[in-house]
Amino acid sequence: MFRIALKGILGRKARLILTSLAVILGTSFLAGTSVFSDTLNRTFDNLFSDVFKNVDAYVRSTQVIEADFGQEERQRISADLVSIVESVPGVRDASPDIQAFARIIGKDGKPIGSGGQGPPTFGSVGEEFAGALWSTAQGRWPVGSTEVVIDEASAKAGKYILGDSVKVVAQSGSREFTLVGIASYGDVRSPGGATFALFDSVTAAEFLTQPGFIDAILVSGDGSVSDAKLTQAIQDALPTTGKTETLTGAEITLETQDQIGSALDFFGILLKTFSFIALGVGCFVIYNVFSISAAQRQRENALLRAIGASRKQITRAMLIESIVVGLIGSIVGVVAGIGLSVSLTALLRALNIDLPSSGLVVSQNTVTSTIVIGLIVTVLSAILPARRAGKVPPLAAMRATALEIAEPGRKRLITGLLSIALGVAIIGAVVAGASNNYLGIGILFVFIGTIVLGPIIARPVALFLGRPAARFRGVTGTMARQNSARNPKRTSRTASPVLIGVALVTAVTALAASIKGQIDDVFTAQFKGDYAISTDARGFGGLSPSLAVDLNKLPQVEKATGFGFLTVKVDGRGQYVTTINPKTIEGLWDIGLINATYADLKTSDMFVSEKVAKRRNIAIGSVLQTTFGDGSTRPLTVAGIYVNNEIGDYIANSKLVDGTSIIMFDIGVYIKTKDSADNAEAFAALDAAVTKYGQGELLTKQEYINKQSGQVNQLLGLIYGLLMLSVIISIVGIIITLLLSVFERQRELGLLRAVGMTRSQVRTTVRWESVITSLLGAVLGIILGIGLGWIIVFALKDQGLTSFKLPVGPTIIIMIMSFIVGLFAAIYPAWRATRVNILDALNTN
Amino acid sequence: MTPQTTTIAASAISATKVYGSGNDAVYALRDVSVDFYEGQFTAIMGPSGSGKSTLMHCIAGLDELTSGSAIIDGTDLSTLKDKSLTELRREKIGFVFQSFNLVPTLTANENIRLPLMLGNNKGDEAWIQKVIDTVHLQDRLTHRPSELSGGQQQRVAVARALASQPRIIFADEPTGNLDSITGAEILTFMRKAVDDLGQTIVMVTHDPVAAAYADRIIFLADGHIVNEMTEPTADRVLDLMKSIGH
Repeated sequence: MFRIALKGILGRKARLILTSLAVILGTSFLAGTSVFSDTLNRTFDNLFSDVFKNVDAYVRSTQVIEADFGQEERQRISADLVSIVESVPGVRDASPDIQAFARIIGKDGKPIGSGGQGPPTFGSVGEEFAGALWSTAQGRWPVGSTEVVIDEASAKAGKYILGDSVKVVAQSGSREFTLVGIASYGDVRSPGGATFALFDSVTAAEFLTQPGFIDAILVSGDGSVSDAKLTQAIQDALPTTGKTETLTGAEITLETQDQIGSALDFFGILLKTFSFIALGVGCFVIYNVFSISAAQRQRENALLRAIGASRKQITRAMLIESIVVGLIGSIVGVVAGIGLSVSLTALLRALNIDLPSSGLVVSQNTVTSTIVIGLIVTVLSAILPARRAGKVPPLAAMRATALEIAEPGRKRLITGLLSIALGVAIIGAVVAGASNNYLGIGILFVFIGTIVLGPIIARPVALFLGRPAARFRGVTGTMARQNSARNPKRTSRTASPVLIGVALVTAVTALAASIKGQIDDVFTAQFKGDYAISTDARGFGGLSPSLAVDLNKLPQVEKATGFGFLTVKVDGRGQYVTTINPKTIEGLWDIGLINATYADLKTSDMFVSEKVAKRRNIAIGSVLQTTFGDGSTRPLTVAGIYVNNEIGDYIANSKLVDGTSIIMFDIGVYIKTKDSADNAEAFAALDAAVTKYGQGELLTKQEYINKQSGQVNQLLGLIYGLLMLSVIISIVGIIITLLLSVFERQRELGLLRAVGMTRSQVRTTVRWESVITSLLGAVLGIILGIGLGWIIVFALKDQGLTSFKLPVGPTIIIMIMSFIVGLFAAIYPAWRATRVNILDALNTN
Repeated sequence: MTPQTTTIAASAISATKVYGSGNDAVYALRDVSVDFYEGQFTAIMGPSGSGKSTLMHCIAGLDELTSGSAIIDGTDLSTLKDKSLTELRREKIGFVFQSFNLVPTLTANENIRLPLMLGNNKGDEAWIQKVIDTVHLQDRLTHRPSELSGGQQQRVAVARALASQPRIIFADEPTGNLDSITGAEILTFMRKAVDDLGQTIVMVTHDPVAAAYADRIIFLADGHIVNEMTEPTADRVLDLMKSIGH
């Protein structure tokens, strides 16, 4: 039987290729994403081991506040400590380190480097240091308060040459410097697409952060003692009052790698999740192809049965075929996946994210797991069709035509309905108050039920969807409609991958629309101003507090107020506090204060959102022990509770940091213009003020609101991109099924061509069948997806999501896209159909 | 019966068809010239491999000649591109094949009108009704092929061939898959189509009984026309077949 199976495989290469294609796609995404995230991990690991390659010890403050999302804010240390470290025996060289926000402005007045979500723009120290990775490619290191060195990539982007005057924006404002050098970082022009402006340490501290303070000290040893001993010696030499800790180079490398690693892990899990979804979708395609080929081989198998092959032998032959296909497909898939990963890296480079190359990481693990998973998935998908193939009666050999038995059974109906009912019941229980954790199981049951019912639904729905085609496309449309309904099992199996993809896209879109809708409503209701200045650099730089002061002096401005933010510990837990100016915020922003006014907020007070107040049992008059970035702890009294927590759960008076070493900046400034002011004039005046600071973006109220909700679009874009994997597999699934159907219908096509069907009419028929199949998946997918979206929105009601918005526009776009997918998938099969030789087709008996 | 008119519906002139080339060349047709007259029922007979099917396929525009020409209604088929050739088959030729004549997804009625529908042509409704009456299919029109017997399927095929009032109908062993009674029924319909409706039919067959329904028989062997007979009977056909060695 093995030889028969093998001959069967080799005898039909086209079928082998088509079946393998589904396996190849599924496994290549799996391998590709895993190679890509391994490579990314290695790249960043290397990047950070490079950063600290020549650093033997690292001195920093012990004072740190950790907040959500792994953000942490570490205190600075005194620059005076550098000379103490330098005098420790075993130290060859010590360099102050500062990493802060700085933006280089190009000659055209536009900032260099991407703002917002792109690679960061840094200001740092550029001094001669034995452990430094930066080296001057041209010129020399800066000395004094008027000189700067920038990285090679920025110099090129800004068309700067030595001697030019360069404008740099930092926390303290913007300043002009003379370019005295251009630096390169190891072997790259700028690490990871970030931009760097480098100053001498005194200037860096004074311009970028805080005069006399630095972030850390980098130490290079002379090799006379081990790193551990050196580290200990430095720690011992430093005054205990300085609240410092000293780490070895290896320790700081590991810590940084871990931090970046956990961020990358999240990305890797996301990639993996979606490639598994894609593989699941691929299962349908594999299952479908095996089912069709079992049906097409019915007579052949019946003949084998007639001459004495047992059921088991027929089934086994097909399973052997699936093993061969699975193995070949997975191996090719791994190779294709490596290619995919290479193109992803190339894509990043094209997007100007220049990563130091450390070579592709193709781990043994990736290769084995991909092949094993691919093999298992293929064989599992083939089991049912193989068993069915074994059941073929020997008499079927005598039958004229090989037809897949397509009558949907009662058993199917009952199983499908039960599964859906069970799913709905579980979801109902969640709606009624059961834990959200059961939601996934409920949704899964509804999906399974729908797919089980597929063959029953497929015929009527396909006939319905095919009506316009039959109506407007004449007999070709009629035939397309009938073809899509003639084998409901096959049609529904082909449409299922589309269904899954569309359902996920629709659900995500519905969720996004609801979130956006809510953001829109909230900001429209709460923000009472006319303009906003926004900055993307949350947590890393922001707007100078003096901007709001300047704006208030403008004749067109009635009021301008800035929001800042601080990372603090409230009762021992890291929190973000939004700081406001109570004098100017009145009438600009409505946070829904209960029994309090903005004027109540003194520098010794705090406002707390109703949500947090309830959860943590806080009332007006409660005292919260608040630890600030400088290490000081102050008791703040709750002076008010507010309802609208969109701007944060804790609010404090921005004046409370006055007189401390804490640096505050605004993350947004909100402006109300005078009613009498001319709009264009007001805008011009505001714009001039913003430009002066070289930072922030002036937006109208509507633009500002759109920008807030637009953030959802970025996440949406990423998820769409990942779901593309599934969509591609669905398209390939349609192509394969159509091709197999075309092969199967050779005689029919020959007849049609003989009695006068032109090639273009043949194409039309195949095309419309494809479109109907694709739309079938899309319509069912949209219905499921909207239901799914509604359920998710409901489940998130605790997170403050209150209203479900139907994504009407996107739904229409999804339908149009499915239509196009149908047209696209039909191109090759339709062409093949026109190539059917009339005489060969008619003579096949 | 002699031809009522001498108008030529289709003809082959020095038709030659070669498969392969060089030493492997196989001649399916060698320099065959023949005319098919309007309003006449012609049968092409010959043993397997004699070239009878190839001749029919080439004249019907389903296959191409290696040299010589095939002419339908005055048009040399070799001058036509695929699209015009397809349209010519649709408008001027009717087909009845041995088996698998119908599109399984279409009803009998749709199958009958298929060539007309493909050409976006309503056709002559009175004529179509007359054809349906002639082949007794009135109560089977909404059925799909799978719900029809073999004989009924062939009747639908004959009706389809007649529906568009083509210049000529080609039938390739139309009774080959039918029992003799049903076969006789189909042949009677074809005979009636010629006598009552004035159709032109060319039928390929190896069955002397079927050939006896024709007005004229052309005998082919080894790619040549070896004999011709008018007003045949089954016995005469058998005798002739014996005399030429088959």
